[in-house]
Amino acid sequence: MENYKEELKDIRKQQVNKVVKNPLFSFVILVVVLAFFQILYMTTDGLISLTLSKALAQTLIYTIVAMGFSLLLGYGGLASLGTAGFIGVGTYVAGNMLKMANMPFIVILLVVVVVAVIMGSVVGFISLRIEGMYLAIITLGLSEILLEMFKTPNPFTNGTSGIRGVPFPTLFNCIQLDRETTFFLILAVLFIMIVITINLINSPTGRALLAMKNSESAAQAMGISLLKYRLLAFILATVYAMIGGALYVSYVRASDPTSWTLSLSLNILAAVIIGGSQSVWGILLGSFVIFGLDLAVLKNIAFFNQYPGSSMIFSGVLIILIIMFYPGGLIKLFNDIKVKLLTLKNSKVGEKNA
Amino acid sequence: MGLDSIIQTILSNLHLAGILALATMGITLIFKTSITTNFAQGMMATVGVFTASLLSNKMGINLYFAIFLGILSSFIIGLLIDVVIIRNAKQINIIGKQMITMGLVIVISALLPIIYGTVPFEFARFFEGNLEFNFLSMDLYITKNGLFIVLLSALILAILFMALKFTKWGLGVRATASNEMVANMMGVNTRLITALSWSIAGALGATGAILMASQTGVVDANMMISVQVNGFMACILGGFSSFYGPIIGAILIPLTKGVIALYNSLWGSVILYSLILLVVLIKPVGLFGKKIAKKV
Repeated sequence: MENYKEELKDIRKQQVNKVVKNPLFSFVILVVVLAFFQILYMTTDGLISLTLSKALAQTLIYTIVAMGFSLLLGYGGLASLGTAGFIGVGTYVAGNMLKMANMPFIVILLVVVVVAVIMGSVVGFISLRIEGMYLAIITLGLSEILLEMFKTPNPFTNGTSGIRGVPFPTLFNCIQLDRETTFFLILAVLFIMIVITINLINSPTGRALLAMKNSESAAQAMGISLLKYRLLAFILATVYAMIGGALYVSYVRASDPTSWTLSLSLNILAAVIIGGSQSVWGILLGSFVIFGLDLAVLKNIAFFNQYPGSSMIFSGVLIILIIMFYPGGLIKLFNDIKVKLLTLKNSKVGEKNA
Repeated sequence: MGLDSIIQTILSNLHLAGILALATMGITLIFKTSITTNFAQGMMATVGVFTASLLSNKMGINLYFAIFLGILSSFIIGLLIDVVIIRNAKQINIIGKQMITMGLVIVISALLPIIYGTVPFEFARFFEGNLEFNFLSMDLYITKNGLFIVLLSALILAILFMALKFTKWGLGVRATASNEMVANMMGVNTRLITALSWSIAGALGATGAILMASQTGVVDANMMISVQVNGFMACILGGFSSFYGPIIGAILIPLTKGVIALYNSLWGSVILYSLILLVVLIKPVGLFGKKIAKKV
């Protein structure tokens, strides 16, 4: 009888371990915590302010964009400055679709993805055919052109005043969302994108990208086509950015050119570098440091309010320091501490044994 | 559209070509010696013009002395960037260095409002009035200030090209550009050469920014973004491998843009950039570039 009980315990332990050790388990926990946070905001009165809830939603949207960017930077080894422009295109496409006919959100997402694939392949093919460093330059030019086009008065972007009063999206043609429930839509998309990203990283494609980043020549010698995989990474980054844009316009319900400037592209870059470009947790951490801190805390400090744009100085300094001295990003800090503690523990055990 | 209006457009955009050529020279110098595309070129220049206008507008210092101090401040910023950051980032690849300069853009643009305040500055023209003349029975004009900009930038570039060709510094730059390690072993002080390139790039940018401010009358933090973008485009068009290629690109871009804008002002820059990308698609190393084989 005793034996049987212990065996049962063991089996249960194994089952629990199987769930807990799954790489997605931690993300499920995260999404549940975030959802709980929003429920807390909806049910209690004033425990969590609207500013905080909005800041959180925007941070999560930028996290999706940053995740796409990390595929480009952390796995493709390329930098792009067109992110803000692509998010902008995503907001205008989705915003206009929502405004004209309130289509189901899934249809909007599909259209946005198709537009992203087309734009990404055209821009990526031209710039990547030459050399990796050209991508940053050409996307910088592209984002300036896009910004100029957003600003010119036309019915699609509505010039400098931008599009306003976009209705909240509907799901499957029947569920009409509002500001509170759109938050859950963002969470759901975030989770799906995390799953896709993790699977992609562990697939042959992800391995090929990583090989390419570590040594272009060696990867080429192994039969990996540089152009093909770099182009794929860039297209993926574009798709993620435009999905972020579609979510942004669904939640904020407006889009104007002043949001889609170079500084947003640089902030996304900063989030990915600072958090750590090769792990999803790193990107989450980076996005919360760059966007969360800025939206929720720094914007409310008088000194930084007095000088608009000055709160970005931290991200600039951190980018330089991290590239020079700590290429793994802040997320590596946790690993390093863990390793330090383990070696400390082991050496103590060693001392005792001796 | 008649020939006279096309020539007139070229004359009115000539000063932009001069300013862009200065900035492009800075980008090329840095690319040659540090093998990175400097995204902070425009921001380094903006510091110079902010300093100059702060000193002359707010503190009442003589305009020309203020301009000298402004150029000097960009010179020092360039030097500092190299000595403190780029010199210690040798082992980092091109993309990493690119991102360091993007970080610099963030840092400088965040510091600008703190140091210089948020009030926009104004800048007066060096020369007022237009110069009207008749050429092949066409009535043309050029602003005196624009003519001054063109002549001054041409003079500066001519001096720089002479220096690159005939001085010891120029030889050092060319040696560092072709192979930094070998140049170092042959007794070229590559550290000094690289640091000087950064500071000269800063000074060139500041000169361009001040000339730009004198023509448009406006000084703000985003004034050099278009110069930065077009400077890179000029380098791509002309090819990074020579010094003269990017300069020719820098002269072609504003003039072509002006002429295209005559026909279609809305899509002007889109058509221009598409043309440049088309050139690059056909000839990836640029109009005057040479393909450099990479050793494995």
